[in-house]
Amino acid sequence: MNASKASKKRKAVTRDVEEEAGVFSGDELNADNLDGALSDNANDLSSDEDDSDSEIELVDEFSEDDEDDEELDSDEIPSDGEDAVKKKSVTTTDKSGEIAEDAESSSEEEELDFRIEKDANGNDRFIYDEINPDDNSEYSDVEENSNTIGDIPLSFYDQYPHIGYDINGKKILRPAKGEALDALLDSIEIPKGWTGLTDPSTGKPLELSQDELELLRKVQMNEIPEEGYNPYEPTVEWFTSQQEIMPLSAAPEPKRRFVPSKHEAKRVMKIVKAIREGRILPFKPPTEEDKEEDNVINYDLWADEAERPDHIMHIPAPKLPPPGYEESYHPPPEYLPDKKERKAWEEADPEDREQEFLPNDFGSLRRVPGYENFVKEKFERCLDLYLAPRVRRSKLNIDPESLLPKLPSPEELKPFPTACATVFRGHKGRVRSLAVDPSGLWLATAGDDGTVRVWELLTGRQLWSVKLSEEDPVNVVRWRPGKDALILAAAAGDDIYLAVPPIVDPEVEKASLDILDAGWGHAASVPALTPAEANKKNNPPKWIRPSSSLQESGVCAIIPLRYIAKSLSWHRRGDYFVTVCPGSSTPASVAIAIHTLSKHLTQYPFRRRIKGGGSPQAAHFHPSKPILFVANQRSIRAYDLSRQLLVKILQPGARWISSFDIHPTSSTASGGDNLIVGSYDRRLLWHDLELSQRPYKTLRYHRKAIRAVKFHPGGRYPLFADASDDGSLQIFHGSVTGDMLSNATIVPLKVLKGHKITGELGVLDIDWHPREPWCVSAGADGTCRLWM
Amino acid sequence: MEDIQNSASNADLSAAQRQVRVQLTSKQEDIALPDGTGPILVPTGLRRYALSTLVNNLLSNDKPIPFEFLINGTFLRTSIDEYLTANGISAETTLEIEYVRALIPPLHIASFQHDDWVSSTDVLSATSPAATWASAAISPGQERILSGSYDGLLRVWNMSSQVVATSPPAADGGHAASIKAAKFVTPNQIVSAGLDRTVRLWKYSESEDGFSGTIAPHLELYGHKSGINSLAVHAPSHRLLSASSDHSVGFWSTKKSDAPAAPENLLPSAAARSSKRRKLNSSVSVAQRGPVALLSSHTAPVSAAIFDAKDSTVGYSTSWDHSLRTWDLVTATLVDTRTASHSLLSLEHLPELSLLAAGTSARHITLIDPRASATTISAMTLRGHTNAVVSLARDPHSTYGLISGSHDGTCRIWDIRATKADKDGVVGESVYTISRKGLEEQGKADSKRVGGEGVKVFSVCWDKTIGIVSAGEDKRIQINRGEGMLSA
Repeated sequence: MNASKASKKRKAVTRDVEEEAGVFSGDELNADNLDGALSDNANDLSSDEDDSDSEIELVDEFSEDDEDDEELDSDEIPSDGEDAVKKKSVTTTDKSGEIAEDAESSSEEEELDFRIEKDANGNDRFIYDEINPDDNSEYSDVEENSNTIGDIPLSFYDQYPHIGYDINGKKILRPAKGEALDALLDSIEIPKGWTGLTDPSTGKPLELSQDELELLRKVQMNEIPEEGYNPYEPTVEWFTSQQEIMPLSAAPEPKRRFVPSKHEAKRVMKIVKAIREGRILPFKPPTEEDKEEDNVINYDLWADEAERPDHIMHIPAPKLPPPGYEESYHPPPEYLPDKKERKAWEEADPEDREQEFLPNDFGSLRRVPGYENFVKEKFERCLDLYLAPRVRRSKLNIDPESLLPKLPSPEELKPFPTACATVFRGHKGRVRSLAVDPSGLWLATAGDDGTVRVWELLTGRQLWSVKLSEEDPVNVVRWRPGKDALILAAAAGDDIYLAVPPIVDPEVEKASLDILDAGWGHAASVPALTPAEANKKNNPPKWIRPSSSLQESGVCAIIPLRYIAKSLSWHRRGDYFVTVCPGSSTPASVAIAIHTLSKHLTQYPFRRRIKGGGSPQAAHFHPSKPILFVANQRSIRAYDLSRQLLVKILQPGARWISSFDIHPTSSTASGGDNLIVGSYDRRLLWHDLELSQRPYKTLRYHRKAIRAVKFHPGGRYPLFADASDDGSLQIFHGSVTGDMLSNATIVPLKVLKGHKITGELGVLDIDWHPREPWCVSAGADGTCRLWM
Repeated sequence: MEDIQNSASNADLSAAQRQVRVQLTSKQEDIALPDGTGPILVPTGLRRYALSTLVNNLLSNDKPIPFEFLINGTFLRTSIDEYLTANGISAETTLEIEYVRALIPPLHIASFQHDDWVSSTDVLSATSPAATWASAAISPGQERILSGSYDGLLRVWNMSSQVVATSPPAADGGHAASIKAAKFVTPNQIVSAGLDRTVRLWKYSESEDGFSGTIAPHLELYGHKSGINSLAVHAPSHRLLSASSDHSVGFWSTKKSDAPAAPENLLPSAAARSSKRRKLNSSVSVAQRGPVALLSSHTAPVSAAIFDAKDSTVGYSTSWDHSLRTWDLVTATLVDTRTASHSLLSLEHLPELSLLAAGTSARHITLIDPRASATTISAMTLRGHTNAVVSLARDPHSTYGLISGSHDGTCRIWDIRATKADKDGVVGESVYTISRKGLEEQGKADSKRVGGEGVKVFSVCWDKTIGIVSAGEDKRIQINRGEGMLSA
C-alpha cells in the first residue's frame, strides 16, 4: 500500500502541471466540477462527518480519477491524526514541488540535535543522536534503487564519494556528473530554472520552472505565495469612521426599485372607473341658492374697454406701485411697526399718515379678517372718480445738480484771510469805522469814544490817538488815497476833521501839510458871502482851523457840516471827497456834500431829495470815471458829474441799503461796472451794471443786517467781504473777467468769527489791506481785528 | 537692560518678531560706538526711546543720554516697522541709523519785566557775534542782554535781571519813537532803529563793578523815510543793514569817517510842523550821517535784511511784496529775486545748508535756496505757528536748528531734519514750543489767545551761553535754556 501510495504521489507530481493547466483553461468548468463534486460527495460527507471540508475540496481539486484512491486516503486519515498532518504537508509539496521538501529538510536541519566534535584530521565531525529504530516511518520500505540515507541532507555526504546506502548497505555512488566539456556546455547554456543544485532524492541536477522560482522567492520573502496577491491593496473605506453631514451619494432610491402596490392600483382603478362613469364629479352641483344669485346682474364696466386715443378727457388712472412687503398678511418682522411707531401712527391725523394702513402679521391667510375699510374706501374711490378731475403732469427729468454752476473749491482760491492775526484793543465803546492807509502800514480807527487812533497794522501797537469830540462818536474815518501824502479824514459829530498823523517822515508830512494848507489861501480869495446869502440855511460851510490843542495832535482843518455825516468817501485822486448825512432831519439839499481839498470848498450837488427810497445812505466816486454813485434806502443812482446827468438807476431790491462798493477795476477793462450792495435786510447783492438794473446775484448768508461791504482794492485779489451784525465777516471770491459774455464768478470762501455781539451790533466796518489779502474789521465790542 | 527687553517684548507682540539689521553710527566722537560695532539685529517694533536705551547700553553710560535717530536724514518719529512700511524699505536690508543727542526741552530761566512792549533783544556773551568779532573775552556771569522797547528806550540787563544801563530819552538824543531793532555791534557799541526812521549808534560803557553803565549817543543815521523794521550787523567790516517800511534796504557804516553826510530833507530840523519836535532834539547834538547805499527795488515794506553769514558783501532782504532779494553790497545792486506766495516777515541764513529761512504772514516758515542754480523757490515749509512768524534765529549748536518767534505768542524750535512729506511738498514740524511765561504764571498756558493778543513774540535770539532770549508784547524778556539743545 505504501508503495502504491508512493507511486500515486509521484503520479500526482507528474500530473500536477496538467491539472493546473486545466484549472487555468476554464474557471467555470471548475465551478461546475465543484458543484458536481459537492452533490456527488454528499454521501461521503454523510458517512465521514468528521472529515474536514478543506480536505475534500483539496482532493476534488486534484482530479476525479483519483476519487477512489482519495477515499482510501481519507479512510486512513481518521485512524492516524499525525499522518493526516503529514499528508497535508505532502499535498503542499505536491503543489510547490519537490524543492519545498528540500526547504523542509533544511529547516529540520536546524532543529536537529548534534554535537560537533573534532575528528582525527582536525575537521569538524558531527555526532548525531541515534535514530530510534521503532519509529514507524514510511521510509522503512524503500525502493530498490532509492537512497536510504533517510531524512538526512545529501550535503552530509559531500566529503565522500558515495551519497548513501541502499537497502543492502552498499554504498550508492554519486552519479556521474559528466565530463568537463559537458560541465562547460552546461555553464554556457544554463537552462531556464537551472539551480546548480542536485535533486536531494535523485542526485540529478535540480531544475525549477519559472513559477516555482517565483514561488520560492515569495516564500523566502515571507510573502503569501499565492499568485496575484497584493499585500498593499488600497483600503476601500466602505464605511467611513466619521459620519458625513453630506454623504457622498444622497441619491434617492431609484425608481426601478419601486414595486407597485397591487392593492393601490386596484383602488385607483376603482376611482378612475367611478370618474369615468360619472359617479364622482369634479365640482359641486349648483344648489338652488346659487341659482337664485345668478339672477343678480353684474356689470363689468371695463368689459368692452378699448384703448382710447390720448386725449385730455380720457386720462387713464395713474398706475399704482405694486404692493410691497408691508402690505403682506405675513410681512417680514422688519416691516412690522413697533409700539412707538404704532402709537405715532394712531395719533397722527389720517391725512398726515404716510401709510394708510399698519402692517399686520396674521400668520396665515386664513386668519386674515375682512377688510374693515372696504366700504369707506369704495366710497372714497367713487368720490375721487366723481369729483377729482385727472390732470396729466408733465415731468421734467433734469438733474438738479446739473443746474448748479460749477464753482471752484475755496482751497483753489487761496490766498484769502482765514484767521485772526491781531486784535486792536483800546477803544472804549464801539469802533465805528476803520481804514488801512494806502501804504498798508497803519490802521486808522474811530469809535464811540470820540477818538481817532492810528495803529501799527501788524503788531497792533497804537501809535497815535486824538480825541476829536467829547460826546459825539466818530462815525467814519478814511485815509486819503495816494502815497504822496498821508491825510486822514474823520467825521465826528457835525464836523469833518482832516488830520495828518505825526507818524510819517518829515518829507511826506510836509507834503501832506502843504496839500491841506493850500486851500486856505483859495478859500480866502473867495469873496465873502453877502449877508442875505449868509442867512440862507443851505449855504456851504467854511473850513476852519482847529483849536491849538487839536493842532498839536495833528488835526489841520475842520469842516463844520452842521449835520451828522455817516459816510465819507474819497475820490481816487485824493482831491475830492463826498460826505453823506443820512439823518432824517437833514434837509435834502445838504445831505450830500462834495468837498474839494485843494480849494477848501464844500458844495452841495443835489438840490432835492433823491426820489424813491428815503434819505441818502452812502455815496462813492467811480474809480475811474467822473461818476458819483449815490445810494438811498432802496436804489442806487449814478450821476455823471461832468455832464450833470443821471446815468443809471439800480434797483437792488433791498429794503434798506446800508453800504455799497464799486469794483476797483470797473470800466478799466472792457467789462462793465460791478457793484456790491449790502443791506440791512441781510442781503448782499452783486450788480453788474451792464447786465441789468436788478442784481446779478443775491447772497443771503447772514442772520442779521449787513453793515459794510468792501472789494479788495487794487484788484490784485478778486476778493470782497461783508460785515454783519451777527458778529461775523464773510469773505467771497468774486472775479470779474474782461469778457462781456462771461459773468462774474462768486464763491463764498470763509466766515470769520471772533467779534462779540454787543448791544445787537456785531461788525460795523471792514477794510482791506491795499496789497495783501488781509482784512480788518471794526467791532461793536471795542476791538478791531486783522485777519490774514 | 530691562527696558530694552520690555520694549522688545512689547514690540515682538506687535511686530510679530520681525527683526531688522541696523548699523548705528554717530558723527560725534564722544558718543560714537566703539569701532567694529557691526550691524545689530533689532526688533522692528522699536521706537526712539527703546533705541536710545539700546545705544546707552552699548555705550555703557552711567547717566543715560537721550538720543534722536536719523534714517536717511529724517528723524525717526514712528517705530522702525512703520518707517520701513512707509518708505517701502525691505526689512532685510541693513538700515543706516545715525544717532544724535536729543533735544532737551528748554527750561525757563528768567523773565525781565519791562514797562512797555519789548520789540527786540540781543545778547552779549562769550559766544555772541559781537564778542567774537571783537575777540573780547566776556567772562561767565558778565553776559549782557540788550532790549529795545516800544517806549523808545534801550536797556542793558545783566543776568540777575538788573538794568545795567538805559538809553537816554528822546529829549537827550534818544529815539523819538518806538525801537524796533537793537543789536550789539561790539561789546562797547550798540545799534538801534525804530519807528522814528533813524538808525542810532550808541557807545556803551560800564563801570568797573559792572552794576551800572551808560548808553551814550554816538551817531545818528538818517536816510529812511519810514519806520525801520530790522537791523543786521557785520562788525568786522563796520557795516549795517536796515530794513525799512519805505521799501528800501539801508546799507550803513558804523564809522563816522566812512559814512556820507545825512540827507538834509530827512533831518528832524526839516520837519515843517510844530516846534515841539524841534525842542526834543535840541538838547544833545550828535553826529548825523547818511546811508552808504539805499537799496530800493522792493515794492512793499522791507521786513528784514541780513548779511550772508559767510560773505559779508552779500545781503538778503525780505519784504511784504513776497520777495526775497539778494544784494551785492559792494556795488549795491540787486542780484536775484525769489518770489514766494506770501508776505515775508523775517529772515535767517543757514549757511551750511545754503538755505534762507523766511517767516511768512501765512503762519509758516519757508526755506528758500538763494543760489542761482536752485530751481524751486521753496525747498521746505515749516508749519506749526498760528500767526505771522516775525523773528528767526539759528541754533548755535546745530547747523540744522532754527528758532522762530511768532505773533501767536510762541517760540518754536525746528530741526529741518524732522520732516514729513505733505501734499505741498516737504513739511517740517517743530521740535519744541516755548510759550510765554507770563501766560503760564496766570495759569492760562493752555488757553489760546486770539491773534496772540498780549503775548506776541517780536524778537528771538539764541546764544550758546545764555540760551534762548525772546521778547514780546507781554513786556518781558524771557530766557529759556536747554542743555545741548540740538546736536550737530
